[in-house]
Amino acid sequence: MSFLPAFQSFRDELDDHNDRRERLIKASRDITNIAKKTIFLLHRVVLESENPFEDRSASRIKAAKQGREKLNQVQEMYASLRHELVGDRYWRYQRQVSPGLQEYIEALSFAHFLEHSTLITFQQVQDTLCDADGNPYFPLTISDYLLGASDLTGELMRFAISGFGKRGGRSNALDVCAFVRNCKADFERFTPYVRDLSKKQSVTAESLVKIEDAAYAAVVRSSEYDLSPDMLDDLVTTYLSNQNSETRRSDRWRDEDRDDDTFS
Amino acid sequence: MDIQDLEKLNDMLDNESDLREKIRDKINDLDKKTRTMVGNLNKIHSTRPESIPALVGAIRPVLASCGETFGGLAELIPPHQFWRWKDMWCHSLRTAVFVAAMIEYLTNRGLLSLQATASTLGIKDEWQDRVALSAEDYLHGLIGLVNELSRLAVNTVTLGNFEEPLRISAFVKDLFAGFSMLNLKNDVLRRRFDSLKYDIKKIEEVVYDVSLRKLVPTGTSEAGQIAPM
Repeated sequence: MSFLPAFQSFRDELDDHNDRRERLIKASRDITNIAKKTIFLLHRVVLESENPFEDRSASRIKAAKQGREKLNQVQEMYASLRHELVGDRYWRYQRQVSPGLQEYIEALSFAHFLEHSTLITFQQVQDTLCDADGNPYFPLTISDYLLGASDLTGELMRFAISGFGKRGGRSNALDVCAFVRNCKADFERFTPYVRDLSKKQSVTAESLVKIEDAAYAAVVRSSEYDLSPDMLDDLVTTYLSNQNSETRRSDRWRDEDRDDDTFS
Repeated sequence: MDIQDLEKLNDMLDNESDLREKIRDKINDLDKKTRTMVGNLNKIHSTRPESIPALVGAIRPVLASCGETFGGLAELIPPHQFWRWKDMWCHSLRTAVFVAAMIEYLTNRGLLSLQATASTLGIKDEWQDRVALSAEDYLHGLIGLVNELSRLAVNTVTLGNFEEPLRISAFVKDLFAGFSMLNLKNDVLRRRFDSLKYDIKKIEEVVYDVSLRKLVPTGTSEAGQIAPM
């Protein structure tokens, strides 16, 4: 009575599964890494340019283009992972794939926003994850799309506030504010279906409040005083340095504070 | 987001949640069956050997009827989405595997293979991408079997059957040797595997007690050679 041959085949099966799982976790980490760098790149390119806040300006399009080029690396990685995710396998390893994928969607949607000032659609995201013949590498889930796009609002908050002191930064903050508010409203109806979306919604709400406070400052100051845009910029710089001391917790913030210092 | 895109996503999510509801109905159905079977199977601990076949015979039809439920699931699940939904029913499935394996042990004192388990449960090969029995679920079911056999070893002695613990001991040791071959990572299966040693210890204590007191007829202490009761 020996069960060893049967268990031998279970061992092979489990090993195969665990190895694939490990490979996908590693790939997901690498993808997260590239996506995060892309987001930093987008912030940097846009803020260092001449007039970043003119809608559809050359500098925004340039930033988006550079970001997308970097994200090509991610698309190539997904193409090479295709055989690991074929058919039912995608669903088996979805939990390992999701983190990197959501980060990628966040970066992609930021690049898309800079160029078009709109939210990238579900189909547009799926289209970036297809081969030359239009066959998807794997089926994009609504959950990953919404959770990834939800993170965009945090980036937009940083974008609006760190560019606040620049020419056109105040009207940009008002635009971003309206956009983020719409995102929050649109996503709200999906919260019962998508796990963790309500957590993201509260983060979005926090970001929204920060942008709203900045927008408030813009309106109040420009209405009370008959000031030239240059003088307004000075006032705003003072406001920002106060805000920055409140939010000095996160590393990301600290980086952007330094950026602001160089502008003022 | 434009209205059209919003509506599209909403429709997709609605369809998903409809499907989830339908799957849940089937699983409730399956749950009822596994609960009935486990309830009845619990009587083995107080049933004399001669009445075991009748007890097992009463459970078999319920076990066979699981096939209809799995068939219903296979109709609902879209192609290539087995792994997307399987977490919803893996608990019931593992219980069903346990029941099938226990019935096989009680009948033939042998191990029901994965393929035989799948066919006992009425899970067809052609549903592979929708409803299947994975190695992991099968192994979980077997651990459930060992947990229950350690109880049975104690209770058969109480009923005056002193040979059964020896058979259980040999069977469980073979199974344990099989499990020891697997490279388990830190997951639920690993934790449950780690619990097997307590079951083995418990069975060995029973074997020790009955052997020490010479309750087992001589010549039958080599557990593997005992004929089925």
